[in-house]
Order: sequence, then C-alpha cells, then structure tokens
Amino acid sequence: MPAASEDLRCLASLPPGACGVLDLAGVPPTHRLRLAQLGLRAGARVTVLGRTAGGGRLVGSGTTRVGLDAGTSRRLALAVDGGIS
Amino acid sequence: MTLFRPGVRAAPAPSCHGDGPAAAVVSGAPVVALAGAPNAGKSTLFNGLTGGSRVVGNWPGTTVEVGRGSWQLGVDDGAVQILDLPGAYGLDGASPDEALIRDLFTGGDLGPVPDLTVVVADAAHLTRSLYLAAELREAPQRLVVALTMVDVAARRGVTVDPGRLATALGVPVVVLDPRRREGREALARAVADSLVAPLPAARVAGPVDDPTDELAVADERFAWLDAVLGAGAVTEAPVGRTVTDRVDRWVTAPVVGPLLFLAVMWAVFQATTTLAAPLQDALGGLVSGPVTAAGRGLLGLIGLGGTWVAGLLLDGLVAGVGMLLTFVPLMAIMFALLALLEDSGYLARAALVTDRVMRSIGLPGRAFLPLVVGFGCNVPAISATRILPDARHRVMTALLVPFTSCSARLTVYVLVASTFFPQVAGTVVFGMYLTSILFVVGVGLLLRRTLWRAVGPEPLVLDMPAYQRPTLQLVAAVTWVRLRGFLRTAGGIVVATVTLVWLLQAVPVHGGAAFGQVPPEESLFAALARAIAPVFSPAGFGEWHTAGALVVGFVAKEAVLTSWAQTYAAADPTAGLAPDQLQAHVHAAFGLSSGGAVTAAALAFLVFLLAYTPCVATVAIQRREIGLRWTLFGIALQLTVAWTVAVAVFQLGRLIA
Repeated sequence: MPAASEDLRCLASLPPGACGVLDLAGVPPTHRLRLAQLGLRAGARVTVLGRTAGGGRLVGSGTTRVGLDAGTSRRLALAVDGGIS
Repeated sequence: MTLFRPGVRAAPAPSCHGDGPAAAVVSGAPVVALAGAPNAGKSTLFNGLTGGSRVVGNWPGTTVEVGRGSWQLGVDDGAVQILDLPGAYGLDGASPDEALIRDLFTGGDLGPVPDLTVVVADAAHLTRSLYLAAELREAPQRLVVALTMVDVAARRGVTVDPGRLATALGVPVVVLDPRRREGREALARAVADSLVAPLPAARVAGPVDDPTDELAVADERFAWLDAVLGAGAVTEAPVGRTVTDRVDRWVTAPVVGPLLFLAVMWAVFQATTTLAAPLQDALGGLVSGPVTAAGRGLLGLIGLGGTWVAGLLLDGLVAGVGMLLTFVPLMAIMFALLALLEDSGYLARAALVTDRVMRSIGLPGRAFLPLVVGFGCNVPAISATRILPDARHRVMTALLVPFTSCSARLTVYVLVASTFFPQVAGTVVFGMYLTSILFVVGVGLLLRRTLWRAVGPEPLVLDMPAYQRPTLQLVAAVTWVRLRGFLRTAGGIVVATVTLVWLLQAVPVHGGAAFGQVPPEESLFAALARAIAPVFSPAGFGEWHTAGALVVGFVAKEAVLTSWAQTYAAADPTAGLAPDQLQAHVHAAFGLSSGGAVTAAALAFLVFLLAYTPCVATVAIQRREIGLRWTLFGIALQLTVAWTVAVAVFQLGRLIA
C-alpha cells in the first residue's frame, strides 16, 4: 500500500517518466483480474512510458508493457515517488 | 513404448486465405493440448511440431479456433494428437475463445480433458504466463511447461533456471525457441515421459477467506507464483528503458502515432503496386502470348480449334483465370509486407493508436484486431471477433468487417486504378484503404446511433509485445499460407464461376446461333446483365459488361476481373488477355455508360466494389458466427451503403467535372 507521504495521482494525469506504486481501488473488480494477469497488480511498481493517441497511457511494470485506454487510465492511480519534474 | 494407434481424421480449414491443414490427426492417440497466454508462441510451436501452417503473428489474438494435428514424438514413442488452443491467461475469461479453453479443461461439451497440457510460457513474463499453470495444477493432471522467448527475457535482465523452476512448480520445464525450431526434441522427451508417468498430485491451494471471491482466489495463485519464482528459479535485474520503450514513445504518441500508422500503410500499398507492376506485365504477356498460342495450337492439332471446347478453355479459363494469376506477384508482395508488420509486433501498437476511432463507434480498441485481419481476408476476420467478450460488440464488429478492404478487392482496384489513373495508381489504391476505414467508422456510427445505442464502452488493456526482428522463415511461411489461399480460390471457386459465366455466355437468347457460337452481347449472360444494368445507371456504370462482372463478383471479388476478361475475350479474340487490351475495353465501357464523366464513374465503381458483399465465403462465416438474421441484415446494409455512396460519388463527381 502506498505510504501516507506519497502522492496518489490519477494515472491519466501523469506525464511520461512518472513512476510509483499502483493503486487499483477505482477499478471495478471484473477488470482487476485482467489487469493483474497482465502484471498490473495492486502494489506493483509502475512507470508511465508514454501518452497514447486518445488520451491513454503506455505503462511498464518489470518486463511488462501494457497499453491502456483513457478511461482505464483515469481509474488507475499511482502513489508517485519519482519522475515528475 | 508406442503411443500410436492409427486412424485418420482431417482437420477443417474454414478460411480462404487463412490456416492450412496440419498433419492428419491420429485418432485414439493421447491428446496433448498447447495452452498458454496470448502471443506466447503456441501456434508457431504447433506448426513446427505438426508441419501445419496456422497463421501466426506477434500480437495477441492471432488464434481464435482450436487447431488439430498429429505430432510424432520420436522413433520409439509414436504419435500424439495435438491441439493448438487460443491464448488465455486463465480459465475465467469472458470471450468465446477463452470460454472454449474453460470448457476443454472442465470437461464441457468439447470432450474429455487432454491427457497432457503443454503450457507455453513466455520467459519474459513468467507470472502472467504461469497463472494458467497455477490454475491447472489445482487438479490432478499432467503438465509440461515450455519456456519460450528466453532470449528476449535475457535481454530484459531475466534469467531462468529451468531445473529449479521445475522443482518449484512440480512439473517438467523445457526451454525451446519455436521461431527457430530449437528444443523440440527435449519437449518430445518430456511429453513422452510424462504420459507414462503416474498422474501427479494436485497442488493444495493456500487458505482463502472467501473461496467464492475470484480476486481472493487469484491473489492466492499469484502469491504461490511469487513464491515459485522467488525460490531461486528466476533472477530479475532492474529493467531500464528498452529500445522498444524508446520506439513506442513515438509510435503510440497522440499525433505522431496515427500519422505514422497512415504512412506505414501507404508505404505498404505503394511498394506493392510499384514493385509488382513489371512482374504483372511480364506474366500478362506470358499468358496472352505463348500460353494462349500454345493452347490454340494444341487444340487445333487435336481437331478442337474453333469449337466450343476451345471457347471454354481459351476465352474462359485461360482468359479469366490467366488474368487473375497475373496478380500473384502483387499478392505475394503485399502478404509479405503485412507479415513483416505482424511479426515485428507493430500491429498491437496500431490497435492502441486506433483505439479512439474504435471507441467513437462504440467498439473497444481490441475490435481493431479482427478489423485489421479483414484487410487480408474477411473470413478469418469474422472468426477473430471471438476475442471480444461482449456479444453485441461481436455482432457489430462482424457487420463492419465486410467494409474492410480484403486482398481480393485489391486485384480489381489495381486494374481500375491503372486504367483510369495510371500516374497515381498506388495513391488511388491507398485511398481505397482510407475509404474503407471511413466506411467502417461511418457505418459504425450509423449502427451505434440506431441499433447499438445501449452498448457501453469496454476498457482497452492491451499487452504490448517487444519488437522483434522478423525471421525470413516465418514471413515466408505466412506469405505462402495466404498466397496458397489466393491460388486455392483461383483454382476452385473462380474456375467454377468462370465456367458458369462461360456457359451463360454460350447460350443464345435468340434463334439462329448455336450453343457456344453466339456473340457475347446476344448471350443469356448479356441478357441477364442488361436486366440488372439500369440499377447502376445512376452511379455511371450501368453497362452490361460491368453489371455482369459485379453480379459475378458476389461469389468472389477476383471473379470481377475474370468476368471482364471472359466477356471481352469472347467478343474479340485479341482482347481480354493482355492487361492493356482489357483496360482499353473497360475504359470504353465506362465512357459509354457515364456520358463522358469517366473519372466520376470509375471512382463510383471503386466505392461500390469496396462496400458491397465481399464473397459467399464471408456470408457463410457470418451466418455461423452471428446467425442468419444478422447476416441478411448485413447483406442489405452492404448493398444499400454501396449503392447510395456510389451514386453520390458519381453525381457529385459529374457536377464538379
């Protein structure tokens, strides 16, 4: 779980390079399992790798790279601890 | 030890440009299933093991049906039946292809559970790849884990100790490289040994507060996998920004990504038409020259010169099928270029880039994948709608697929574009593909605002495979599979259509002419085509040769060309064979029917050709996937859209001209 001092931010608002710990509280349970199977589990360390056409985000976690649409990006949050200037 | 028990069952091949058959299936032999997450290399492995030719690609969702084949394990071990299953991360997926996996492993309608399952696991993504293995280990069944992409994993700082991983998982682990066909002997040995070993005990799952809570159960499996991978089997170095990440920063970017996508597709079609042109001319010359002369000479020698047999063979088969075969180089080049894109991993990025467009018509970005398959052939594309979990999305996508411009239509585009727009033929052909996208979006919006108003959005969560250097072997194999489909269509349904057209052209509608000796304009074919032609008059191509070709094109789009070639060849023995002579006749016919507005009529014809029903095979697969009612609705939709837009293009074009 993100530490209290960390800044919990909506993934869709984060620029490329931002990184932090993933929070899935806003994601419906039906989609959480699919995210988890792709490597995006609650507590995973995630880096924003790019913005995508349509307002989504390309993210990386370990060796995993996942493309997310804008709606899903808005439901995911990161406890940001680096990468934002 | 012999596992082999003879008996043969052929594997069906439903697609016209898709999968080819694998080795005949050995009935009664043990059944081995290839399962695993999407894009782990199952179909590539299946092809390598069976000598089959399933279509493969570096993007999730390539396989949506079960492939069957026979795999000879070794000299002393006999053969097994092998199943290539669609990709699935687990047994809980909602889409039909994932439900199929669940049915298979839970003893549903598909028959008994396989005797052994090879879980094909991408070494660079072990947790997700082994989740299915964790689920399957909860029942007593034989498993072998086949680790693929070990080289990709190593480049990303992941090293795997197969021995320790096997101990931690409690099942044999084999390292292999399906793309380079390495490690198959070790896999065969592991499978043969496991098939005769006692059934392993099931994994005892850890305590879960609420066993009906899917997420809690999944957490237990992930925790077990974490323990397995953490037991010294896998070491991971910190992952920095990879080459793929740096490329993706631009390839999927908001403005650059869509522009790059359009540029890539333009380059594909420009290269296709430019490179193929000289080869096509050479083949056309060969067919119209030496081949026809030899046929005429041979028929004369055996006393059949000038008879109806000569008419059928020379004006029918040689003119029609010969014209179609001149397009083989063009198809081969396009299939090779698309295979390069597929194998490189670019198509998954294209799905991400087009997500906004898909979403605007109420479809998820994943719907892009079947739609992009449609640009090769509509038949497998409609099957590929099974990757979509929502039934309404599947029906809507299956109705939109026929508006994607399949490769069969390309042959007609090239002929028409080089006839009417010789200086910019490649760009016109590219324009047809852009028009195809506009049709998909336009019809999608129409459906969304009428019949599909209640369909909600679905999230796009798409795995991005690492870029890889395409291998010549794989690109050649995929190209050949698709080219073989094109040749099979030419050799089967098109030959039958050519024969039927010739028969209709041989029957006189008035007395005074014998069967096979009637001028084409006085034949039954011309009479039927003249009856239909007025329908196309408002679009500028209401001329019987053209109308007849379009009706014949309902069977297969390649038949539009063969019909033209036949009708003009029968009227003028020097015409219809060489492409330039055929083009002159087509140009004259459009000039006549359009009142001089030839360019507008040609564009209207291209638009109609793009939008009307692609072929009977597409109709058949639609009926299988979405039922008769929606299929009939789809045909009516295609014809209405095609006619309306063609008329609008001609009338507007004529005004502007």
